[in-house]
Amino acid sequence: MTAAEADLDRPEPARPDPGAPEPGRPEPGAPGPSLVRTLPGSAYTDPGVFADEQERIFERTWACVAFAADLAAAGAFHTVTVGRESVVLVRGRDGVVRAFLNVCRHRGARLCTDDAGQLRRNLQCSYHAWTYDLTGRLVAAPNLSSMPDVDRVEYGLLAVHLREWLGYVWICLADEPPSFEADVLGEVVSRLGEVAAIERYGVEQLALGRRLRYDVAANWKLIVENFMECYHCASIHPELTEVLPEFADGYAAQYWVGHGAEFAPTAAGFTVDGRAGADRLPGVTDEQDRRYYAITIKPQVFVNLVPDHVIVHRMTPLAPDRTVVECDWLFAPDALGRDLDPSVELFHRVNVQDFAACERTQPGMGSRAYRDGGVLVPSEHHIGAFHSWVTARLR
Amino acid sequence: MIHVCALADLPRDSARRLPLSPPVAVFHTADGELYAIDDTCTHQDASLAEGWLEGCEVECPLHAAIFDLRTGEPDGLLARDPVRTHRVVVEGGAVHVVLSGEPAHGSGPGSVAAS
Repeated sequence: MTAAEADLDRPEPARPDPGAPEPGRPEPGAPGPSLVRTLPGSAYTDPGVFADEQERIFERTWACVAFAADLAAAGAFHTVTVGRESVVLVRGRDGVVRAFLNVCRHRGARLCTDDAGQLRRNLQCSYHAWTYDLTGRLVAAPNLSSMPDVDRVEYGLLAVHLREWLGYVWICLADEPPSFEADVLGEVVSRLGEVAAIERYGVEQLALGRRLRYDVAANWKLIVENFMECYHCASIHPELTEVLPEFADGYAAQYWVGHGAEFAPTAAGFTVDGRAGADRLPGVTDEQDRRYYAITIKPQVFVNLVPDHVIVHRMTPLAPDRTVVECDWLFAPDALGRDLDPSVELFHRVNVQDFAACERTQPGMGSRAYRDGGVLVPSEHHIGAFHSWVTARLR
Repeated sequence: MIHVCALADLPRDSARRLPLSPPVAVFHTADGELYAIDDTCTHQDASLAEGWLEGCEVECPLHAAIFDLRTGEPDGLLARDPVRTHRVVVEGGAVHVVLSGEPAHGSGPGSVAAS
């Protein structure tokens, strides 16, 4: 076999440079200016890539992990997964939510094994009963009083950086977390033009109307890519394009800065059948009314803004081909008494349609046909910036 | 009589451990009562001074065995044996304990310093 034949049989893995297509590059089969390469198929299937992503992306960026109101009382706890770590979130008697690595400092047993619950007193390891107060300090352990040299702070639980924003708890596992303002609020600015645009929805005042959990057999990046583009909208989202007719043209709201997709004249509200939804949220401006805005906060949050409610998706990647998505529909507290089904049903259908498409795509990622990846059409070119973002973090 | 601390340093709903042998715990309840008992839970070695004080009872921080501060009696679920109780004396703004069996000398505060 000649070298040329070998190249044909097994071309070099594509080195995508999606943000800046180089039409002149002498690469066999390089797309023309209309098309930009995606990541290679292995980026969606390779356990090594996934492990790198867990370590270098999910364990180093801010993750949105819980709805703060779900941790209402002192002692309320949630356990969440971020990257390869289990983290326990608990509200203290001082009202402050804290996050700790869910690992006993004694012999490493997992402290909280339930997903959520209410602690009676303390955090206690069920193995040897090492006991930590809600600030993480070691307060008791068998024979501890005869070990006066044991420092109760040093052997307390390891704290994780935490912020509250939009009514959610955000944590970062990095020793020195990146700037929340730059990384999280910055995504809002780059999508909506200013943080004030999202603040007008008063998201932290909203209440949970509905939560649905989707266990998706697809790589997390397929879900992000799907959310960023609307080339598929006319094909798989009949109800959504009925309410947002411009989505049928294939350009997602996220293609532009500060653009909200306008409701159809026939749609009274953002509902599955176009009927009126709840009352417009008090801070929403006339310019924002009857429009849909979407923000991707990399790597795992989608925020959807419509005049009467806010939809927040939070993703937890569990394997190269498995991602859990929790979707919250948030409404003004006084809207919870009304029938929310027509509102919830619209984006629930969108979710089901999207995740089915992602699951249909996942097997293809491992195919020979996708070894070098696929291509992005012009209305998807902005996904290239996401690929560049991922690639830069894995270097 | 063993000096514990100034009463002002033992606010209501708090406890203090005296590292005697065996150690003693002194409690100031939310209702303003003062009690002293042996500090070590009779179920497993843990300091009751670090437990949860509720009314006239303290709950061991390890396995939630509960002792009555007035009698030293356990709730009987985990701990079967009682702890000793001791008398608390407040004199001149200071808290003292008189260990069980130890006669009260009536001497001034701090006559026996807590270590």
